[in-house]
Amino acid sequence: MNALIDRINLNAVLARVELNDLLRRVDLNEVLDQVDLNRVIDRVDVNQVLDRVDLDRLVARLDVNALVDRVDVNEIAGRLDIETLVKNTDLGALMVSSSTSLLTEAVDLGRSHAVSMDDTLARWVGRLWRNHATRPGPPGLVNPEEES
Amino acid sequence: MTGPADAGLPVPAPGGAPARRVPLTTRQHLRGHYAGFASRFISFVFDCAISIGAFELALVAASFAASVLAGTSIHWSRGNIWVIVGFFAWEFFYYAYFWTASGKTPGMVLLGVQVVGEEGGHAGTRRGLIRTLAFPLSFILAGFGFLGILLGRDRRALHDVIAGTAVVYCWDAREARLRSLARRSAARRS
Repeated sequence: MNALIDRINLNAVLARVELNDLLRRVDLNEVLDQVDLNRVIDRVDVNQVLDRVDLDRLVARLDVNALVDRVDVNEIAGRLDIETLVKNTDLGALMVSSSTSLLTEAVDLGRSHAVSMDDTLARWVGRLWRNHATRPGPPGLVNPEEES
Repeated sequence: MTGPADAGLPVPAPGGAPARRVPLTTRQHLRGHYAGFASRFISFVFDCAISIGAFELALVAASFAASVLAGTSIHWSRGNIWVIVGFFAWEFFYYAYFWTASGKTPGMVLLGVQVVGEEGGHAGTRRGLIRTLAFPLSFILAGFGFLGILLGRDRRALHDVIAGTAVVYCWDAREARLRSLARRSAARRS
């Protein structure tokens, strides 16, 4: 048998095989289904792969501006709980030392109480006069779509 | 900052978490919004105190100057026609000057409100003067001229409508709220 095989010119045989036809008849999905990818990945030394990656070159090819343009910074800022940030960090102390005084505190307090009274009066009027509609502010200062 | 403003309105938290109550002053910075009756009234009370106090002080100063320079003391009677004319002229000057110059009297600065044109721009000299002249009308009509602040769509009094002006908040309530939180946080830490 071995002598017979030795006499066969395999290259000549392979040259006559239409590989494309052969590959068309192979169901690659079925082949892949039989591959245990987890085992393959387990055998890959990721660190070694990463060692071979030139990260500097990769980052240099990134268009960071285009990336940042796609980020909605306003949405991120909107998600920030600034009150908690101010409450729980030294940012609050920094703000106090840089911008506040006893007078500022008193003025802030007085103004906010006055606004509370404005709001209460507006609510009372709203209860008495159900169809009462107000605009938030002059068109040049406030977006008319804003809540009143 | 405490009080009713801090009661706020429930605002849905992201991710379906329970709604949290956010103070009114945090919800909106208020700057540019029509000012309410209380803020305007309190600022007017401050202005009355300041302008009348300044006028009284001027009378005392004039009496003192007369006694020093002429050696005769002057007693100003509140019923004296010249005192009355002087008082109204001073009041006119006081309001006209501040409303035309910056739209803010000292009382308004304290309460963080400002006179602006009805479209939101600077009130200007003409509108400031008309507003000052029309201001007494709101009193003369048994105070009904002020009802527009409570009931009107734009919270404008009669003298605002006549002059083509409006009164808006000019302070940043959100900034003040953050300052207040910062103070509390600093007090807790110290």
